[in-house]
Amino acid sequence: MLEHVFAALDALTDPIRLLALFGGMLVGMVFGMLPGLGGVAAVSILLPFIYYLDDFSGLAMLLGAVSVVYTSDTITSVLLGAPGSPASAPTAIEGHALAKQGEAARALGVGFLSSMVGGLMGALILLVAIPVAGPIVLMLGTPELFMFAFVGLFFASSMIGKDLAKGIAAACLGLFLGVVGPASAAADFRFTFGQVYLLDGFSLTIVALGLFGVAEAISMLAAGGGISHTPIKVSNWGAGFSDFWKNRWLVLRASIIGVFGGFVPAVGASASTWVAYGHAIRSTRDKSKFGKGEIRGIAASEGANNATVIADLVPTLLFSVPGGPAAAIFLGALFSFGYYPGPRMISQNPDLMFLIVWSVALSSVVGAGICFAIAPTLAKLTRIPFGIIAAPLILIMVVGAYQATSTMGDIFMLFGLGALGWMMKHAEWPRAPALVGFVLASPMEQYFWLSNQIHGWSWLLRPGVLIIASFIAIPALLNIYRWLRNRGKAQVDAAAQVLNLPASEDHKTISLILAGLVSIAFAYAIWEMTGFNASSRLMPSLALYPGLLLALWLLYRAIRDYAPATSSQFKEPLILIVLVVYAIALWAIGFTIPTIGLLLWMLFARASMRLVPGLIYGAVVFGIVWLLFNVLRGDAPVGVLTGLS
Amino acid sequence: MKTATSIATLVAVIGLSAGAANAQEGYFAGKSIDVIVPFGPGGATFVSAKFLEPYFEKHLPGNPEINVIDRPGGGSILGANWFEQNANSDGTTILFTTSSTANPFVLGQKGVEYNLADYRVAYSHPFSAVAYTSPSTGVTSAADIKSSKTPLIYGGIAAAASDLPGLLSFELLGLDVKSVLGFNGRGPVRLAFEQGEVNIDYQFTPVYLTQVVPSVEEGKAVPLWTGGSADADGKLTQRDPIAPELPSVYEVYEQLNGKAPSGIEWEAFQGIASVTYAYGLTGYMKPDTPQEVLDIFAQAVADINADPEFQAESQKVTNGARLSAGPATEKAIKTALSPSDEVRAYLKDLLATKFGVKF
Repeated sequence: MLEHVFAALDALTDPIRLLALFGGMLVGMVFGMLPGLGGVAAVSILLPFIYYLDDFSGLAMLLGAVSVVYTSDTITSVLLGAPGSPASAPTAIEGHALAKQGEAARALGVGFLSSMVGGLMGALILLVAIPVAGPIVLMLGTPELFMFAFVGLFFASSMIGKDLAKGIAAACLGLFLGVVGPASAAADFRFTFGQVYLLDGFSLTIVALGLFGVAEAISMLAAGGGISHTPIKVSNWGAGFSDFWKNRWLVLRASIIGVFGGFVPAVGASASTWVAYGHAIRSTRDKSKFGKGEIRGIAASEGANNATVIADLVPTLLFSVPGGPAAAIFLGALFSFGYYPGPRMISQNPDLMFLIVWSVALSSVVGAGICFAIAPTLAKLTRIPFGIIAAPLILIMVVGAYQATSTMGDIFMLFGLGALGWMMKHAEWPRAPALVGFVLASPMEQYFWLSNQIHGWSWLLRPGVLIIASFIAIPALLNIYRWLRNRGKAQVDAAAQVLNLPASEDHKTISLILAGLVSIAFAYAIWEMTGFNASSRLMPSLALYPGLLLALWLLYRAIRDYAPATSSQFKEPLILIVLVVYAIALWAIGFTIPTIGLLLWMLFARASMRLVPGLIYGAVVFGIVWLLFNVLRGDAPVGVLTGLS
Repeated sequence: MKTATSIATLVAVIGLSAGAANAQEGYFAGKSIDVIVPFGPGGATFVSAKFLEPYFEKHLPGNPEINVIDRPGGGSILGANWFEQNANSDGTTILFTTSSTANPFVLGQKGVEYNLADYRVAYSHPFSAVAYTSPSTGVTSAADIKSSKTPLIYGGIAAAASDLPGLLSFELLGLDVKSVLGFNGRGPVRLAFEQGEVNIDYQFTPVYLTQVVPSVEEGKAVPLWTGGSADADGKLTQRDPIAPELPSVYEVYEQLNGKAPSGIEWEAFQGIASVTYAYGLTGYMKPDTPQEVLDIFAQAVADINADPEFQAESQKVTNGARLSAGPATEKAIKTALSPSDEVRAYLKDLLATKFGVKF
């Protein structure tokens, strides 16, 4: 074995291969930073290029990209608050809050180091794939997969926050979004309104971008150019290093959670990130800082997401079952080079196996190093008025969303869900439980159904199920024990620490509208559900009945508290309307004209740039976006009325 | 993700286009052909399209540049609808797809905008399927499939998609198989088989060769039969070259019942299985494509099949499967895409009553 380890390292140090590895890494880093474009986009864009290289170089290039996406996305999440990829949504919540408190360096440092550990953990797991990981993957039958998803949803309850009704309603909303499309249990297409676009359900990227990214961009544009805001400084990495060291065991545990997420097909990095984040909350005594800038939240989620994307390769290499979307493309590349993954490949091509391990390990370390080097420079960019950053951000999110199916539906969904996310933000419905509900709805339903079909109810007693269930049971028992021991003593209830922000009148209006819309949507969905097969009704029922009751209760509360807005300075609805008009214009007259119009409006009306720099900057942004469209999709959206793109 | 332009850019950058610049003779000289795959990159259809790409570039007259472009979504319906609206009718746009696109058309599913039966067939590649079972059932060959010790459990994705011919074969053979549908790919089903959760399974060519064959050698799987391959009339009576030692479904029926299969169950299996297996991966062109283009492709397919390099590579990847094209292939596919009203009614009724599919 040892001779293969060094033979593979020797093979990798070939200059062309190193160049390919680092080239792939750079592409991966850039795509990790661009919100909505992640590992899948990076690997897809590299795919045609690898056919001009030899097999080892080509695969090293893809691995370089896969290994760093979840490292560099930390930068976007922390500095801008828009998740660089769906799986870094917890980092966007905690990290951006820390950045606003002037602690961006701490957040970034912990994020990079945790990502590196996650990547190395993934590499280690690949190294022991044959003797250790293979049997573990075989032990994870459908009941275990269901339990894993269920634990994730249970942990999501930790993120509900101070207002129980809004938190659970948001989770129900997420579950509801997650059941749109084909039911796994029977041949029903749910809530598709006859639209082919919805036959596959919503795309995770678009849901994450809409709920978090668009809402943040709207606030940025509303902040405009003249409003003062404290620049984010990235200096003094020391605090980050010491925070990382303090939380090293948490990072390690999170990486292991991430690795298990990778073993499970279809439960991707986003799910295991939330599970790890939930674990961080459960294992932290003072929970008051979660949601407002808790470094442990970043340590856990960044440790997990990078470990997952690497561990995704384990089922890919052992069983030809890709653990995630980027791994699926990697599998295709292996096929194209004439490698057919399976138990035999690893014994037949040990050099390739160790080349993969080395590539992943090297990229994880070097990638984190590069992130440390470039983060201070990138942080300086945030001193530019928000409006100027928001312009390319919105357009890149459009490009990212358009990767899903490259139909106009992608763009309508992006801004439609953006409007929903924006309303949730201002009505103080937490968006994290919604995203978790969305991510876990379909694996939970699918594995529950399959488990019951195959095993009857006996699956509940399988050892694997019991072990995974203990992730919930043991902390719960510990909490009861602590509660019993501390009975009578003064309790600091984290949940009771309510932020005493007086809700503005605008927010009351938005609360009213959101509660009304959600009530109508849930009521309609319950009616439509009556036409489904019984087995397709179970999961939506879990979301819709409690969801409708809560939404009606919130509607009642909103009406009770309603006060009509007097002279409002609230500019955000205007921006939302402009974005919706932009989406419609894209559909009607194509990409070029509305985009130039939107850019001019954002740069001059919102960011108050001066004429010449504004025009130059606008032209550069437009050029880059146009190039991205061309490289990724081959074409930009074409207008229905004009036939122009 | 579309890779067309990036390939073009790269080719331009590194100067590989120099060869194409020599004014070449031939119908497609200086042109490029877009092969639209309505599934994601990395999937079996995409990989097959990439596998065939260099051979078409080599053997089509004028050596056109071929771009494989993926347009996933809607279970392949979105990509096919896009093709219907945007494809050229001169052979420069090809829809390369599977029964996942054909079955919704045959069954008249909502949202289908393409009239696949009117399309021209440029070329086709078989997509063999092999049924196998677990030794725990006590079954040792196709002949004693009805004397299984344990209930047979089959894992699938959705009744109306690529599982349909497998389910129809169980109907035809009169097997009592419990079908658990709802997996999200044949890979996870394969894993569930290894884990002992399901015990009868169909797998397609590459996975059969790389995963199932080793399992058979280790005594962890028992091969049963293949879907069969087409005879001169397009009937699936022949053994499949991927596993010539195994009987076809047709033969298994004969063995179990002492007569050749007939009737509505056979008609339904024959129609659906031929677009899933024998003509599993098919390149379609718009209905008004000139016959000249179809003839050019038929010639190119003959040249590719005769190319020793293709023969050697396909031996490795598909056990030597060959492309087919020309009037006989087109006729067989069009027949399968236009089943009789009785067959259509039988399929709809079976799917609705047994699998809860709504139309």
